[in-house]
Order: sequence, then C-alpha cells, then structure tokens
Amino acid sequence: MPEQQMSEEQVKELQEKIKNMSPEELKEFQKKQCIFCHIIEGKVQSKKIYEDDKCLAILDINPSNPGHILLLPKEHYSIMPQVPEDEIAHLFMITKTLSNAALRGLGVQGTNIIVQNGVAAGQKAQHFMVHIIPRKEEDGLNFDIPQKKIPEEELEAIRKKMASQLGEVKEQAPKPNVQELIKPKENVVEADFEESQKFPISEGLETKSQSKKTEEKPGEPEEKDEPKKKEKPQPEKQKPAKQKPPKETSEEVSLDNIADILGVK
Amino acid sequence: MADKCVICQIIEGEVPAKKIYEDDDIVAILDFNGANPGHSFVIPKQHIPILEQAPSHLVGKMFNIANKISSAIFDTLKVQGTNIFVANGVPAGQKVAHLMIHVIPRKENDGVNLQWAPKQLSEEEMSTVELKIKEEIGNVGFGESPKTAVSTQPKKAESIKKDVSGEESYLAKQLRRIP
Repeated sequence: MPEQQMSEEQVKELQEKIKNMSPEELKEFQKKQCIFCHIIEGKVQSKKIYEDDKCLAILDINPSNPGHILLLPKEHYSIMPQVPEDEIAHLFMITKTLSNAALRGLGVQGTNIIVQNGVAAGQKAQHFMVHIIPRKEEDGLNFDIPQKKIPEEELEAIRKKMASQLGEVKEQAPKPNVQELIKPKENVVEADFEESQKFPISEGLETKSQSKKTEEKPGEPEEKDEPKKKEKPQPEKQKPAKQKPPKETSEEVSLDNIADILGVK
Repeated sequence: MADKCVICQIIEGEVPAKKIYEDDDIVAILDFNGANPGHSFVIPKQHIPILEQAPSHLVGKMFNIANKISSAIFDTLKVQGTNIFVANGVPAGQKVAHLMIHVIPRKENDGVNLQWAPKQLSEEEMSTVELKIKEEIGNVGFGESPKTAVSTQPKKAESIKKDVSGEESYLAKQLRRIP
C-alpha cells in the first residue's frame, strides 16, 4: 500500500482536525482515507475474486506468495474486535472457501490464515482484513512461531483472568481502545527470528485407516452458483440422523486425506 | 486409534491443559510454550485436521471464540496487538494434525515474526492466479450458511457434522491431484 508523505505541519493540522471531529465525522473521515474502502467502492481498481453484500476478496498487489488473498468486510472496521459476530462467522466461512479454492486451484500444499490486530501485530492498513496465503515448501516465507516456556504461576494467573473474562464476554465482547491500537507508526519490519523447522506430523497421522473416499459428488450446484443465497439452512437441519459418531468419522474422513494434503507419506 | 492425536487427548482430559473456554464443540487452552504469555488455541472437539474439513458453522463459531479471546487478551494482558493465525498444512507450519486457531498476544519487538517481503508478480501472473482461484471457488462452493449457526451458545455435538460429507468429495478430489 502506498504511504502518503506529509510535511510535519500538515500532520499537525490533520491531528488537530481529527481531534475536533464527532464520532460520525471521524468514521466518515477514516473511510475517505482508507484505500480499501476506495477499493470496495470501486474507486480504486483491484483484482476481485469474490464479492457479496458483506465482503470483498481481492488479490494482494504486494503478495507474500502468488495467490495471496485479502478478504475485506465492506463495512469499515479497524480491528477484528469491532466486527459483529454474524459478520465474523460469514467472513471466516468465506475464508474457508477461499483457502480451499487456493489449495485446489494453485496446487499449493498449505495455507496460512492471518489476522493482524494492531501495529504491533503487523497491521499495516486501517481496514480489518483476513490474509489468506497459499503455501509451498521452500517458498521463502517463515511464519514459525517462537516458543517460550511460560512459568506455571504466570500461566495459571493468566488462565484465571482469561477464563473469567471469557465467561463474561460470551454475550458481548468488550472493545479495546481502537484509536490507541491503530495510531500510525512506521512499519516495523522484523527479521526472521529463526530457521524454519520441519516437524514430523503428529503420531495421530500415522494411523493406518486408509479407507480412501474416492466417490465424488459434484458440488451442490445451487451453492456453487449462488453464493449469496444464504438462507438455506434446511438441508443440514433435516438430516441429523445421518451423522456418524465423530470419532469414527474422523478416522475415515480425515486421516487418509490429511496425510496427503499435508504432504505426509 | 493406536496413536491418538495429542490434542484429542487434551480434549478428553488425558493430558493436562490450561483451559480458558469450553462448550460442546470447542475448547480453548493456553499454550504452555507460547510465543507470548496468553498465547491461546481454539480447538474443535471433533478431530478435524484442517480448516477445509470443518463445517462452516463450526468455522464461524471458532473464529468468534478466537475473537473473544483476542478481546479478553486486550483487556487483561496489556498488549498492543493480537494475531489470529492458522497454519493449514505442513508447509504452512502446521505441526499437529488437529485444526487449531492461534490467538497470539503481541507487543512491539516481541520476536514473533508474521511479516513477509512482498513478491512482485507480473500482470499476467496475477491474472492467471485470479482466474484459477475464481474457477475453484465455483467448484468448492460455500457449505452451509453461517447464519444457521453463528451463535456461540453451547450446542449439541451432533450438529457438528453437517457438511463434512460435502467436504469429503472435494477433499477426495484434492487427493487425486496430489502426485
């Protein structure tokens, strides 16, 4: 995303202006400043790969890998905690579809889904978005997460706090101070922290229950052609009887597939 | 299963864990060896290895829980940011064959690196990628509507399994593509 260059005076002037704005004006101002809102409104060109009334998926013009997708809610939210529950459910349902489409369409062996809340988390734009990044071996990316041993007492203290907080947030998530989080700063580009480590996939995978499912149903056409047709819960609701006990299914469905999908022999 | 998935063992209480949330479908735990204190995992109780195999309503629910954990992290741990992160597949950094969403508390210069250097693609490459993904979106479909089940209220376990049968077919397809 292009950075705007402003003189110090201009910045000061702007800050003063922003300070005096009403919340409504501020939101309008944010939208005007937001390149992604411009993209959503079609004022800025983009490679759209999916669109419905709530969200838009485009290809990142500065991709981490070919096929790097940005999924944007059409509404301007700065960070994920501001996004209503139903929109999150919708966005991540679409995320799953897009990830799956990338897996299949691009011949990659994995995807990363990344959300950045706040500059410290790597957020660059002030429009909440989901990154969907196709992954291959040796693709030059390294998102390995460092591990620190966390002392038992600290962990237990955190657990207590979080558990009680989550009890409370079940209904309504509290909002952190957004202005604080997204205040512009220089982009922090960090060096890779460590060598990528290859891990053997967990023991569970090696289980031999390779009953391959090869029969193939053509994906339900009504879903494929009309992604917007969302009010259609009946088919699933009507057949609870068909369900198998979860464990049995996990063996049949998952293990044979995942071994291949994850590239484990 | 001879060798049971370690996450399944945690869910069944055979391996100790620091649970911070639990309902019929989902457990959230703290990582003993987190990137930062408060690093949490949101995990489906059912053994689902990758995101694509999870029914859409469960995906929606999991990410809503992840978001609530992220909010709780902001509220209780005085951090400057959070990442929501999923590694899908070995090249993406997946280490355990059980789907999990990481929620990672972030501070400046905390040593966590989820950055990337942008790659330059030609216009032609971009268009090819665009077409390929668009085409597959049509094939993949969207599963059931998340509207049927966005609530984070506890739910009966049997409702978990809704669209996995649909998933099977395209995963099977995927299977054959891989050499």
